[in-house]
Amino acid sequence: MTDSIALRVNGQIRHLSLDPATPLLQVLRNDLCLNGPKYGCGLGQCGACSVLVEGRVARSCVISLGAVAGRDVVTLEGLGESGRLDPVQAAFVECQAAQCGYCLNGMIMTVRGLLNHCAQPSRDQIVSALKYNLCRCGTHVEILEAATLAAELDAAGVAPGGGE
Amino acid sequence: MWRRGVANEHACFVRRTPPGSRRFRRSFRPPSLCRGRPAPDVAFHEGRFGCSRLLDIDHASLGEWATVTTVVEIANFVAVVAADPDLARQASRRLRLHWAPPPLLDDHLGAGGERSGGRGAVLSGRRSDGMSRRYGWPNRLRWGERAGWVIADVSPTRARLWVDTATPEALRGDLAALLSLAPAAIGLSSERSDQEGVSLGRLACDDAAADAALVSRQVGAPVAIWLDADYQRDVDALGLAETWDVAASGGHTLDALALGYGAARPAPAMALLLTGVTESAGAPADRPARSPYRHANPVREDDEGGESGRASDRVRVFAEESFFDEWSRRQASDPLELRLRHLDDRRGQALIEAVRQRAAWHPGPKPDPAEDGVGLLTGRGFAYSHLPDAKGEWESGTRSAWIADVSVDPVTGSVQLTRLVVGQDAGEPVDREVLASALRQQLLPESTLLLRHADGIDEWGEFAAASRATLPAIDALTLDAGGHAPPARMPDALAPNDTADSPVSMPLRLSAQTLASGTAAIANALFDATGQRFREPPFTAARIRAGLCESTGGDARAARSAPFLGRRRWRWVGAAAASLISLGGAAAVGLPWKAAIDPVPRPAANLYSQATIERGRLVAEAGDCAVCHTASQGGAANVGGRAFETPFGIVYSTNLTPDEATGIGRWSYAAFARAMRHGISRDGSHLYPAFPYTAFAKLSDTDLQSLYAYLMAQPAVASPAVDNQMRFPFNIRGLMAGWNLLYHDPKPFTPDPTRSALWNRGAYLAEGAGHCSACHSPRNALGAEKRGDDHLAGALVDGWEAPALSQLSKAPVPWSETALYDYLRTGRAAHHGVAAGPMAPVVAGLGELPESDVRAIAHYVASFMPTAVDAAQASEIADDRLALSAATPPGFDAGERLYNGACASCHEGSDMPVYSRAETSLALNTNLHSARPDNVIQAILDGVVAPSSSGGSAGEMPGFRADFSDSQLTALVSYLRARFAPDQPAWEHLSARIGELRGASSP
Repeated sequence: MTDSIALRVNGQIRHLSLDPATPLLQVLRNDLCLNGPKYGCGLGQCGACSVLVEGRVARSCVISLGAVAGRDVVTLEGLGESGRLDPVQAAFVECQAAQCGYCLNGMIMTVRGLLNHCAQPSRDQIVSALKYNLCRCGTHVEILEAATLAAELDAAGVAPGGGE
Repeated sequence: MWRRGVANEHACFVRRTPPGSRRFRRSFRPPSLCRGRPAPDVAFHEGRFGCSRLLDIDHASLGEWATVTTVVEIANFVAVVAADPDLARQASRRLRLHWAPPPLLDDHLGAGGERSGGRGAVLSGRRSDGMSRRYGWPNRLRWGERAGWVIADVSPTRARLWVDTATPEALRGDLAALLSLAPAAIGLSSERSDQEGVSLGRLACDDAAADAALVSRQVGAPVAIWLDADYQRDVDALGLAETWDVAASGGHTLDALALGYGAARPAPAMALLLTGVTESAGAPADRPARSPYRHANPVREDDEGGESGRASDRVRVFAEESFFDEWSRRQASDPLELRLRHLDDRRGQALIEAVRQRAAWHPGPKPDPAEDGVGLLTGRGFAYSHLPDAKGEWESGTRSAWIADVSVDPVTGSVQLTRLVVGQDAGEPVDREVLASALRQQLLPESTLLLRHADGIDEWGEFAAASRATLPAIDALTLDAGGHAPPARMPDALAPNDTADSPVSMPLRLSAQTLASGTAAIANALFDATGQRFREPPFTAARIRAGLCESTGGDARAARSAPFLGRRRWRWVGAAAASLISLGGAAAVGLPWKAAIDPVPRPAANLYSQATIERGRLVAEAGDCAVCHTASQGGAANVGGRAFETPFGIVYSTNLTPDEATGIGRWSYAAFARAMRHGISRDGSHLYPAFPYTAFAKLSDTDLQSLYAYLMAQPAVASPAVDNQMRFPFNIRGLMAGWNLLYHDPKPFTPDPTRSALWNRGAYLAEGAGHCSACHSPRNALGAEKRGDDHLAGALVDGWEAPALSQLSKAPVPWSETALYDYLRTGRAAHHGVAAGPMAPVVAGLGELPESDVRAIAHYVASFMPTAVDAAQASEIADDRLALSAATPPGFDAGERLYNGACASCHEGSDMPVYSRAETSLALNTNLHSARPDNVIQAILDGVVAPSSSGGSAGEMPGFRADFSDSQLTALVSYLRARFAPDQPAWEHLSARIGELRGASSP
């Protein structure tokens, strides 16, 4: 236990008195009760735990709490609002891109991170961005469709939900 | 008994859209899904077919499943159909069948059996010095190229099938016989374009297609079957389509060569055999052409079979060329020369000569399988073919000579074609670029079938770069009309991605005959690499692995490298011991024992000022006292007990807290200073130089006093010393007196007046409290730091390599003073990476020092490093490095797969910014360019913990100790080295070192 660490999670400042070496994923799920990010491999390989840090995708299982001190973290819960989904979420619902759904947090956050950076990604860019997010159900085709649709919805002027 | 479901794990059914479209559509369910058929015992032997006979189907065994499934039964063919693949699979598991055992085929062999008995192999006389070998070609080369649906929609008048067959005509013929339809009424839709045609043979997807067609006709609805590796059992059951017996006698020149054509009965689709449509194998294969070699007996004319054709030329060439290779290797002669001696054809000779020169073929067989240092076996093989043209004319026929280089991973058995030199003389001028381009387009599917390895970790459908890096460098040459080769050019090592874009001036389809010698060239190269002869394709990873295990009875590399390592280490230790003993004898005469210094009461806590204690704290941080004197992470600081393995035994650090009984509480400053400067404990005994008093002697009196003040002001913790476990004679501490005489200079630091104040400050910090050289300088046989050019030349510490800080630095981008400062201050330098291992706490400690001190250390260390480059040059070098590592080196499939699965998500770049991505490419990582793999192995085993002062950005990496086996680590590290440090030689004895480090640093 050390001094308390402050960071902004989904817009709210949080003070946490935890070991700075604690993985961010554990902090989010266990201390902040944000269960959007999933525990998959714990080694940064599968992407199920993805969150946005400063608007950029990050694998929260391999980032320590100390590494995001003073930074802005957005989880799946911080994307949309009740009754108003983020365009990425809306696109994933529209395309029925879930099979078991475990990877979807990572897929949605990664697409959000991609669109934050590049408003109209090509199909190749989408594939490249999602390349290291593992889906074991084989829903890849639907996920690609959803990502394409998300870019269209975003461009159509629906307010993006990630970041500030 | 049951096998093969149409079920896959996904509930998303796909089918192909009508011909012309290459896209898959989802959410389409064929009305019926076939579960497939059971597997009776099937025997297919020398052209005759037999299987167990179906006696009875116990329909009651289906129970309630009977209402939702249909059982199709035709002779020995049984299949279960359901509306859902899972249903079909579940039901088929319950269905009980009773079989009669298959007939004993040996009784029914008849003529076919006799023919196979090596009839053509019999040579008149001289059998004593002869050799006879049998080669075979399988009925099914593989189950398919990829998993997928096979769909059939059959009505009484016509049939439509969606299947990726490699042999559409053979399949059409089988279906026509099976369904009693005219071939024209059978529509085959395939995603395979003509350009991708494979001429190697049939795939088990034909069997699946026949199954589906049969069931579809029975149930009157479209039927889908999931084709996957389950069909491998058909591949095994159907055995060989052709065998060839080759025999010869003689010596370096064969006196006689005989070719015997074995049973050549290509098996039809399994459904035809099970339903009894075909009792035995079909018509014998077409009769092959004669051999181009002298002394080769003509192939018997009395073989059955009507029309002439050359369908099995490819197999004949494979057998003959493999045999030539076997013969010459047994005779220890050059296989290429042997061909030349037996050829009368001048153009053929010229072609072989041209290829020999282009590939720089060295005559003479290799005595031992070669190993390239990474653990890959490499080999080279040659093969030649000459086949008559369409009219049967030999002179105008195609001559083709191949030299193939392969590398084999002995752990996974996967084979990579690394280079091909192909020469062709087709009697008419062909542009060599066109030939090379045609080879590129056709070799990929061919080599995939011949050498297929496991799929990658995650394939994104049609977007997967599945074909990446599987093409070798291809060097094609053609002869001009006069039979002369064009001037030699450097082999065009082509990037695989170029394939699609390479300009093709005119289309060229290579016939199966042109590619005929390719298979033999690969088989011969495989023998060269592994010492194992593979007489039947395909050369799959599993077969190679099995062949290697058979030949070595275990891990060949471990057996070869382990004794060597052991010998070397012991010789070294032996020499050290011998010289220390003689040294001790001399020293004991001249040096008296040191006296003890009397204990004093512990100094009062308020004796020293806060300012002095704070200064002492900084000295302690600069010297990282706590790193060595703390037993475990999270334990009390400075209580000692941490073990240090040295070549001379194990030394334990001692209790530095002011505890009066077990620590230094009763040490006077005089005793403390003597220990720090001379390495002599308060009681007069000598300390081992694992405690770096050789560096601490340089400390100024003021700093030493401050350090004493700081240590005495810390809380006292009782922690008894752990006894050292030094080997004789190193356990005699008195011998250290002689060591000190030789290697220790207790003089305090004296500034170099020719250098700047900044440099001198850096030297004082680095050589004194910082004791950089304690880790970064190599030590001699007696454990003393080497000086002169070897100062800061790099060394091994605690299972990690402290890299060279001198001219010997292997950093791909030379270190600049700024980069060193960034690294020491933040634990990260833009072109170098992050501090890890024992360096991480050093950076954390330096974080306490004033910025000017860290800059001074950087300035001092930079003065030893290779000429610094400015920022622009550094960026340029870095860009070059990144470009070099962009391509994947061939022959590291296993490592590449592990990298893509475990590492690439953080270590590969993409267009999108990723917060958790490693900022520095591995291509710039000093550790991957080092002469030793230690730091790479350690980082993968236990990860990288970011120094606490790194400014919060991610620099962390998880450890993979529990996730990778030693052999996986070997494959991964070999791949990393080959890809990211392509200009460095492969690491030797990698797997042995991995085993040592895993054991040594196990938590």
